[in-house]
Amino acid sequence: MQNNQELHEQSHNQKQQKQKLPFKTRLKKNWEKYAIIYIFFVPIFIHFLIFQVFPFMFSLVLTFMDWKVIGESEFVGLEHWKRFFEDDLAHRAIWNTVLFSIYYIIPTMALGLILALIINSGVRFAGFFKGIFFLPVVTSFVIIAGIWGWMFQGTADGMVNIILGFFGIEPQLFLSDSDQALMVLAGLSILKVSGSTMIYYYAGLQSIPNQLYEAARIDGANSLKMFWNITFPLLKPIHFYVAIITTIGSFQIFDSTFLLTGGGPNYSTTTIVYYLYEQGFTSLNLSYAAVLSYILFFIILVISLIQRKYLGKDTQIY
Amino acid sequence: MRKKAFLLMLVLFLGIFLVACNSDGEGDSEDQDDTNSEDQEQDDEEASNDEESSLSGEITVWAHPFTGEGDAEQEMWDEITTSYEEEYGVTVNFEQIPWSNRDQKILTALAANNGPDVFYAIPDQMPQYADEGMLLELDPYLEDHDMDDFVESSLVSVQWQDKTYGLPILQEAYTLFYNLDVVRDIGEDPDNLPETWEEFEEWAVKAKENDYYATAFSFGGSMNGTLYPYIWQAGGEILTQDDEVKINDEKSVEAFEYVNKLYEDGHVPEDSITAQEHNEMWDSGQIMASMGSGINLQILQEKDEIDFGIAPPMKNEQQQTYGTTGMFVVPSNTENPDAAAEFVKHMTNSENQRKFNSVTKYIPTRESAKDIFDDQPYLSQLASYTQYALPGVIHPAGRSIMPFIQAELQAMLEGEKSPQEAADAAAERIANEIN
Repeated sequence: MQNNQELHEQSHNQKQQKQKLPFKTRLKKNWEKYAIIYIFFVPIFIHFLIFQVFPFMFSLVLTFMDWKVIGESEFVGLEHWKRFFEDDLAHRAIWNTVLFSIYYIIPTMALGLILALIINSGVRFAGFFKGIFFLPVVTSFVIIAGIWGWMFQGTADGMVNIILGFFGIEPQLFLSDSDQALMVLAGLSILKVSGSTMIYYYAGLQSIPNQLYEAARIDGANSLKMFWNITFPLLKPIHFYVAIITTIGSFQIFDSTFLLTGGGPNYSTTTIVYYLYEQGFTSLNLSYAAVLSYILFFIILVISLIQRKYLGKDTQIY
Repeated sequence: MRKKAFLLMLVLFLGIFLVACNSDGEGDSEDQDDTNSEDQEQDDEEASNDEESSLSGEITVWAHPFTGEGDAEQEMWDEITTSYEEEYGVTVNFEQIPWSNRDQKILTALAANNGPDVFYAIPDQMPQYADEGMLLELDPYLEDHDMDDFVESSLVSVQWQDKTYGLPILQEAYTLFYNLDVVRDIGEDPDNLPETWEEFEEWAVKAKENDYYATAFSFGGSMNGTLYPYIWQAGGEILTQDDEVKINDEKSVEAFEYVNKLYEDGHVPEDSITAQEHNEMWDSGQIMASMGSGINLQILQEKDEIDFGIAPPMKNEQQQTYGTTGMFVVPSNTENPDAAAEFVKHMTNSENQRKFNSVTKYIPTRESAKDIFDDQPYLSQLASYTQYALPGVIHPAGRSIMPFIQAELQAMLEGEKSPQEAADAAAERIANEIN
């Protein structure tokens, strides 16, 4: 009993001693242990503070000001936030962005998966096909958009219209038609991005253990069954990752609108980022553009959280 | 030992970082001190030997690359700045700034108080800047200056609320270029190109009968070269300097109707609603007439594949067209306003306009300088049209209202709105924007 008490006291003393170590010594100990981490971390952290945290915070300040690049900026409180709720063009832009996501996310994932299955199936010249499918990813977007715009020219002698003509379909307006323009732009993005989703899926496919397929084959499963019961569910982590990045990408869509339609016809391709750009850099309404960028941030945040809840729950494959 | 080395490295890192953060501000103030002391020295020098007396110091001039040939352009700038330096005893720092993101560069430089003393501006920039009080009013410097020699239309874009903020250096005039093979093919006379809306429509009908488009609109781009000229030709306006919205006036609506009719009747390519250009169709001879200016002339002459003719700007009630104006302006926070204003005057005098525009192939804004094109019939023809060329909507909101007009126009062409409805809707959006 006594012994026990002594021990207890001893350990208590030790603790006190530990706590009483002078600040300098503790700092030194810490430094000895983590010096290399600090050396690599601090410059990056400072960069992060200046180029990420500061703009992020400063743009929040902007939303409460009537910010002028030159001249006196005044504090206007929530005026710009209120304006957002009354701005039908901003709502239209968000709706267009949602529509774009619908046209874009699932097809991109599906096409990426199909392409990955093709190159993973042991087809001849798999490397060659991989290169071809990946080509749009590494080509400049401006060039791809130019080619796409030329293919989908809305006159009778546009390339796609000529092909449609063989099937007796009337020439379509494509980018000049409010109902079609956004779909044509989504098609362009699918072409551009599915090459990289293919690579993710390809990596995922390679990590699926072969014995599962062997076991399934012994049980007499056909390839469709194997795909639905083994391949597809085991790609879940990849689905989650690809879904997140394509969703974020779809909400940030800007360049195709900027290059091909200028937001038209009649606002039908004005996406949230395009509208934000127009407000910020054409009309120099930097404060309102900052509000729009926060709205975009919240939308992406909420969607990512939802996706994480339903898709990312279970990342174990067995 | 190793620990010390690590510590030293960390201190170094932090040190470099702090210095990097500070150097801008300190460096600037040092620079400024330097220039001030230089100013002082130069002042002393000039006080003794310069009869222009009041001017001294140095100015910074920002302009952009106007041609692809850097050498000839550099030589031109050297000549102009040297002659100014010799005449006024002011040192000129000439800086060529790339076109991309020019607005942001100028705005941030001026906001940080280390911008230029003179810079090149375009018509939709000027009122936006002037309205914010960023530009120096030049009227006090122009009292004895020969202003009558300037083409009247070129002065429209340098004035905001009856005050002059810049002097024009170059102009352009957009007008219809005709493919003369098409003109002959439809049985019309290449020497009598259409001058009015009616005549053009008659030709357009014949062009369609022969499977040609009469012209092409690129409503996916700026309204300056597409809808606006028709509004002005109809005698209408878009938005006045006194905030009056006139785009849905009777006359402006006529322009909406005319454009709509050309589209509905199939006289322009179907994709004109959002197209940005129709170069390929024009090059392959499918289009009878296309809007163009000096740059298009240069391309046509270089390619030498299309037999073309240039028509005067069209007229319905008035003969009018679009053509940008380039000008030099002085920011209000310049430290040397007198020298800067004098440079703007010097830069835009007849002699220097000749030098500048001979190299850049734009049209001088002084009548007396237009003689540089005497032996170039096409250019002198275009030069004679700048008197009809308006520079767009001169208003601080000039740029921001354009997407509204574009969208309503597109809704009209898609058949969702009548011309009057589209013009009314555009007017409403514009009114909201400026209030």
